[in-house]
Amino acid sequence: MLFMKKKIEQLQDSAVIPIGTYWQLVRKRFLKHRLALVGLIILVFVALLSFLGPFFVKTTYDEFDLSAIFAPPFSEGHLFGADELGRDVLVRIMYGGRISLFVGFVSSLITTAIGLLVGLISGYFGGIVDRLLMRFVDVMLSIPLFPILLILTMVFGSGLTNTILVLSVFGWMGVSRLVRGVVLSIRENEYIMAARVLGTKRIKVLFRHILPNAMPITIVSMTLNLSYAILSESSLSYLGLGIQPPTPSWGNMLQRSMNYILSTGHSKVVPWWLVFFPGFMIFITVLSVNFLGDGLRDALDPKFVSEA
Amino acid sequence: MKRYLIVRLLELIPIFFLISLIIFIILNAMPGDPLLTSRLENPRAIVRDPAKIAELRKYYHLDDPLIVRYGFWLASFLKGDLGFSSMYKQPVLGIILKRLPNTLTLTITAWLIGLVVAFPIGIYSAIKKYSFFDYFFTVLAFIGISLPTFWFALMAIILFSVVLGWFPISGVQTYGVTGTWNIFVDRIKHLTLPALVLGLVQVAYWVRYIRTSLLEVLDQDYIRTAYSKGAQERRVILKHALRNAMIPIITIIALDIPYFFGGALIVETVFSWPGMGRLMYEAVLASDYNLAINCLMFIAVITLLSNLLADVLYALVDPRIRLGAKAV
Repeated sequence: MLFMKKKIEQLQDSAVIPIGTYWQLVRKRFLKHRLALVGLIILVFVALLSFLGPFFVKTTYDEFDLSAIFAPPFSEGHLFGADELGRDVLVRIMYGGRISLFVGFVSSLITTAIGLLVGLISGYFGGIVDRLLMRFVDVMLSIPLFPILLILTMVFGSGLTNTILVLSVFGWMGVSRLVRGVVLSIRENEYIMAARVLGTKRIKVLFRHILPNAMPITIVSMTLNLSYAILSESSLSYLGLGIQPPTPSWGNMLQRSMNYILSTGHSKVVPWWLVFFPGFMIFITVLSVNFLGDGLRDALDPKFVSEA
Repeated sequence: MKRYLIVRLLELIPIFFLISLIIFIILNAMPGDPLLTSRLENPRAIVRDPAKIAELRKYYHLDDPLIVRYGFWLASFLKGDLGFSSMYKQPVLGIILKRLPNTLTLTITAWLIGLVVAFPIGIYSAIKKYSFFDYFFTVLAFIGISLPTFWFALMAIILFSVVLGWFPISGVQTYGVTGTWNIFVDRIKHLTLPALVLGLVQVAYWVRYIRTSLLEVLDQDYIRTAYSKGAQERRVILKHALRNAMIPIITIIALDIPYFFGGALIVETVFSWPGMGRLMYEAVLASDYNLAINCLMFIAVITLLSNLLADVLYALVDPRIRLGAKAV
């Protein structure tokens, strides 16, 4: 042990090695990633706007105002304009954000949990279990995702719970593959063998020694799943198959906007704000999640310690 | 090479069976009685009579176990008998074959646009690593990945079709246009916007792949050797580096073909483009199970074929695979 300590001191003298616990280093690396920080700030802002915003406005998402039909943005009382029924677009975006963020977050949690479990089992137990599970993953992955989501909404039906269900069924395969890969490489380490030799139960080795190693990749894939879930939910809702009106979601707010854009023609003002603002919220949220994921990937990967 | 191809082809067969089984299980989970929804042109007239119902159930093997019914279903699928569409009151195969060319026109054009745009940007980003240009396109790639396709399509319609009036809003062609040349120009005009939207969404992914795999190759010793022998940069990049970088790129690009069909589904719907994707969407809305499921089967088969294409191309560009050695 003494020898090791000396060696570590030597190494610290010879090269700049960042000092601190793993999570301290993670935080340090994350804070250096400027895009990820911007992403985090935007995400927090969007979440606050969606969940707290409605408490500060006078109207709700389904309140008509006949005097404000197609009110343009920045007009009195309607910062983002109003829709075909005079409903305030900003207020609907707040309520829609609640739904879109909730669906995205819950379904990405479910898919990540399933993927983590399948990956752990497959990688740790190996053999026939691994072969069967990975074969199944291969097959699931070769079914085109968006078309199958459409079919599943036909089977399960639309609405909040069913949309989460549909997004969860076909979203876990990527995570399971990544986790399996990590587990396979960790499994052969000496400390795992040592733990087994000491008589630790397999299940304890799995959760105590292997799971923590699989966490970084799981967290990063969860951000990927989150961005994918938000995009899929909005696409399904746009097509009228996900969240059903009058409950607004960022996707279904765009549903009938096309009709109004086409019917106004060249003569009147095109109500572009009906399309622009909800879509922009989806876009900026997904973009932030992707930036965040990129930052987390760099921050959580221990390989980057030596380069920092 | 021949051996390799045969092995890959044989590997596809079990995967095809499993996919069709999963799709069949989903088909069975759908609500509604198959006697009322498919195959029969006018089912309601017949099903009043209980004896007739029993006879029909027996005829269509509706009371057999799932796996037996799957066998019958798959057999008729492979024979080309896809059943009837309840929405169109026509055989499904005919409807799909009528829509397929439209989808192929759209996806192939979009695919080509994607390639033409992605390659120069990806190569230039790799050569000028960490330059302003590189950072610009890194951020742009993030933007491309995060864009909801339908929103991008709607905004493109608002700007280019409604406000500027450069392109038609939807459809494949204008009715009443005569003359081969005029029809051709009219069709190109209709195709431009949807194909651009579909292609540019994919560019973001491809630029990243091309940049990464080219960067990996540029680190190799033989590139330095080529430079030190006095080879021109242009020659080194195009002849030495790109050829080797192409191996992973080709695979990714072929594997991405199915994603175009997913994207095409949304783009076709926004632009009212009468292709397979829109057909499937209409079938889902009208609860036309048979049509929807068969559209999905078609797309799944196309996916498998593009996986095969990726393998074949991989073998063509990488002799290590072709000659049976292990790839590094």
